[in-house]
Amino acid sequence: MTTNEATINDADGDDVSFSENAPVTGQGRMDAAWGSRDGDESATAQITNNTASVGYVFEQVYKPWNGTLNPRWMRNWAILRHHVLGIFRKGHRPWGWPTKLFIVIVFIASLGDVGLTLLSALIGSPELHSMWGVNRDNLYGHVLGFFPRNMLYYPILAALLVGGVISEDRYHGTSAMYFSRPISRFDYVMMKYISLAMIQAFVVLLTLMIYYFVEIIAMGRGWAWIIDTFPLFLAAFMGGILLIITYTSIGLGLSSVSRGKFFPGIGLVAIVLGTKTLAVLVSNLFERDIMYLLSPYDCLAHVGQALIGTQTTYDQYSWTWSFASLVLMNAFFLYILSSRVASMEVTRE
Amino acid sequence: MMPDIHQEGEAQTSQWQPEQKAPVILLENVSKTYGKIHALSGITLALSGGVTGILGLNGAGKSTLFKILMGKLKPSSGQVRLFGTNPWKNPAPYSRVGFVPEGEKMHDWMTAHDFISTFARLNGLTRDQAKQEADRVLDFVGLLDVAHKQIGRFSKGMRQRTKIAHALVNDPDLIILDEPLQGCDPLARTTIMNVIRELGRMGRTVIVSSHILTEIERITEQIVILHHGRLLALGNLHAIREKMDSIPHRIDIGCDSPKDLAKSVIDIESVHGISFQNPEKLTVQTRNLGHFHSKLPETIVDGGHRVVSIDNPDDDLASILGYLTGGGGI
Amino acid sequence: MADKTNTIFRALDRKASAITEFTMRQYRTKISTWVVLITGLVTISLLMLFYVDAMQRDFEAIDNDNDSIDSDGDSYPDGQERALGTSPFNEFDHPGLFNPPIPPDDPEKWINEDDFDWDESPSGTRSVSVGYDDDGDCRSEDRPESQKDSNDNGISCDIELSISLSGELIYDMDDFVDEDPDDEAYAKEALHRASILGIGKLGFVFIISIFIPLFMATGLIRDEMSSGTMHYMLTKPIARTEVFFYRIIGYLGIVWPYLIILTIISAIITGFAGPGDSLFRFSEFGIWLAILFAAMLATLVYGMLFCFLGVMWRYGIILAIPFAAWELGMALLSMGIPESPILRFSVIGWSLIIVDSASMIVWPDMALLISSGFSVEMNDSSGFEREELIGSEPLQYFYATPGLGDLSPFISMIIATVVLLIQATALLFIGGAIFKGKEIE
Repeated sequence: MTTNEATINDADGDDVSFSENAPVTGQGRMDAAWGSRDGDESATAQITNNTASVGYVFEQVYKPWNGTLNPRWMRNWAILRHHVLGIFRKGHRPWGWPTKLFIVIVFIASLGDVGLTLLSALIGSPELHSMWGVNRDNLYGHVLGFFPRNMLYYPILAALLVGGVISEDRYHGTSAMYFSRPISRFDYVMMKYISLAMIQAFVVLLTLMIYYFVEIIAMGRGWAWIIDTFPLFLAAFMGGILLIITYTSIGLGLSSVSRGKFFPGIGLVAIVLGTKTLAVLVSNLFERDIMYLLSPYDCLAHVGQALIGTQTTYDQYSWTWSFASLVLMNAFFLYILSSRVASMEVTRE
Repeated sequence: MMPDIHQEGEAQTSQWQPEQKAPVILLENVSKTYGKIHALSGITLALSGGVTGILGLNGAGKSTLFKILMGKLKPSSGQVRLFGTNPWKNPAPYSRVGFVPEGEKMHDWMTAHDFISTFARLNGLTRDQAKQEADRVLDFVGLLDVAHKQIGRFSKGMRQRTKIAHALVNDPDLIILDEPLQGCDPLARTTIMNVIRELGRMGRTVIVSSHILTEIERITEQIVILHHGRLLALGNLHAIREKMDSIPHRIDIGCDSPKDLAKSVIDIESVHGISFQNPEKLTVQTRNLGHFHSKLPETIVDGGHRVVSIDNPDDDLASILGYLTGGGGI
Repeated sequence: MADKTNTIFRALDRKASAITEFTMRQYRTKISTWVVLITGLVTISLLMLFYVDAMQRDFEAIDNDNDSIDSDGDSYPDGQERALGTSPFNEFDHPGLFNPPIPPDDPEKWINEDDFDWDESPSGTRSVSVGYDDDGDCRSEDRPESQKDSNDNGISCDIELSISLSGELIYDMDDFVDEDPDDEAYAKEALHRASILGIGKLGFVFIISIFIPLFMATGLIRDEMSSGTMHYMLTKPIARTEVFFYRIIGYLGIVWPYLIILTIISAIITGFAGPGDSLFRFSEFGIWLAILFAAMLATLVYGMLFCFLGVMWRYGIILAIPFAAWELGMALLSMGIPESPILRFSVIGWSLIIVDSASMIVWPDMALLISSGFSVEMNDSSGFEREELIGSEPLQYFYATPGLGDLSPFISMIIATVVLLIQATALLFIGGAIFKGKEIE
């Protein structure tokens, strides 16, 4: 192939030769694209200042992007939306159908006491109402009661949600889709955390609010009653928040060290149920309650009891120990989570 | 041990023997559907001996075909026979088969020698026999010097070769390779292709699937083309091209003055058309490649033309594949 | 390839050893294996620590019958006065007025002075008479016969044991017989036995035997299928059921030795730290052996089950969670109501029968020990009133008779073993059959 000097275009609009043997250069293409020179003085583009002779290498023409990046909260909102909407809409994060089914089941099951309160109001039975209506113990029980809520429903719900949240990204390498964009790792983890917390809050806290609300409506409670019981409601709410935070921290911590879809969930259930069984065993045999400090459920229950003011079932030590243990547990798992995500490679690990 | 109630044949109680007259691989009207997707439709195929290339675009059904052959998938209809035995029901024929699966995942923590000798024992070899055979096959594929390195540290080409070695350890009569060149660099590809060619020369039946058509052409002319689960073509690739009468062959003749040559060439009966796409090339279209080529030399000599090159650009697999799959020739 | 001298059996042997060895080596490379095994070790160690601490604890000697108190202020403990026939409520009536005068006893002598002498168990409708009044406050000559035989069975100063219609041991005590036992000895013996039973049943047979298969056995086949490495094992002349079986054997090859080691450690610790005069209690080896056996069978069945769940369904491990919850419920039920027939539908119910049968054999006096603990009231050191001695409640909670009716413990053990093996075999066949029908991408 022979080389032919293609004259470099300048703003005066000289002719450019288009011999058939001319090497195709970015310059040439651009000129061809812009068409005639006449009257096109305003047609400019940024061209890299190149003094080398036109050769065979395609010349890059860069156009800088002078747009603005949308604010951080919008980007984070996109991640949050992707995770939360995926529960009930296609086109977002695909949660498995067992997870979605279980969310529905647990939501309905958590409304059990709501139904019974309604029933007691409808049939006018004070015994039924004293068993199931809103009072200090039942508010506690709605969030932190052991069987079946805290043994079967909430830990398994957290386990199913937490399952592949971070481990799937590691396994398939889709974390690259996040980290090759202007999203910090902290935002990545934070939004996943918040999305999981929101889904659990939907089940735990929303049902609590419905419970309280139905009591007011069904039993025709007045302002005096509301003022009396609202602090209890708030305390139960706080207990629920603590529960959600703890399970999410443990679950996400496990999800960040695993590559499987199920190990984090099974691990969470094992920790919650296993430590509880162990603590019951030691307490029954040796009358030592100290193992309860290792069990997340029992720490939550103890703190919840102290907050709400129900009778404490852990009388060998003060609730501040349980709270300290909870803080330590959360800190431990959040530390694991943050260090794993910080060192996560942006490729399939 | 445990009586296997599902097995036909006598694999458990006596030595299994392949049926004498059966082709190595036989598929009769095999179909495989996943709901609405027809992965394979009505494939009828019999193969015995030599190297056969299975070609097709992505999603044509090549891997599905192999997995059905190896009894990993069950055909929705139709019959599969491996050495005369149904592989879904009876694992005995595998003693004569070596399978190289696609998929990158291997047991990275094992050394190559370890991997091959451990799984060789599943063929019934003793530990020592397995070690010897592992050395032999690693030598055959050229990995003997790295035999005791972990597979996790191998390059892609080395991993593929390890897989092939693993398939060869029981001296099989049939070797099936599913995309063996996937992800390999050119050097590794050459090595692997040499291995396959060698196996073919040794008299085994080798079946290879690949996208890299130029490489397949170099080792075999026996091809099977699949497209959207259907068998499009089967046989010698030149014969297939011949059969594609509706599409004229293209021959590019490079010469000094194409116009003069054209005047001579146009007298040959099998010429269908002539065009000048390039100032130094004459492009001829013919429906009878053999006839044209037999007449071309004397035409050139008689006319005294100076010819620089003669090229059959669409007598290759890529073009055939393109034509058959409707993508057009090159 | 196989030459003529090889029989099929030998070839199978080689294939089995290849897959089993490969599985065991594969486990060693996985972090999850180590995490689970070490967590199990830590759990058992923690439990053992609590146990040793309990054994070293000093249990206060409590005067259960309050007869070391001097009610009338004559410096003679009530018990002594009662034994010698003077009135404990009259300060002017005391043995110091005897000829020759008897000096007052140290009140310590009247604490734990009348220990249990229950040495025989009733059976069927037959009742037995046990107990002996060690401190003499029942046998005192000054008491009329009618008072000495307050349970009206014709024997003075005894305890009548019989079995009620519902199968419980009931005791009818004459007053002042075996009323102030050695609290420490009882507590230590009771806690020792309760610990072995509790740690063995809930710790070994439940916690460890469920969680180890949950983490280690579910992926045995499923992980290989998902990652595509199953082809290396299956494109060989070997049946799929065999592959399933040998993988399980490989899993057992890691888990059973682990259980054996844990049990040996626990048996040694309880042997040395257990109460008693001898340096080492050998008698409990039987119980630990039974616990080990039950745990081995439980890990076998659970392993088969979870592996089968993994084969059957990609999300099979999700089904394992409600199953584990069911088994926990069954474990607790077995300790509460061992005869409940629902237990027949669980794995752990049968495993616990093995442990319960062994405890009946090794400790034939268990019913006596438990009831004797409930026969005495006490005010413990914190001033709480308890209706039983320390240790009797946990012992009662963790002890159960094998709920198979009136069969001897040996027969119960054999039946339970057979049932568990049948469960394992059934799961093997079903799992193998499902695996055979599975398509592997």
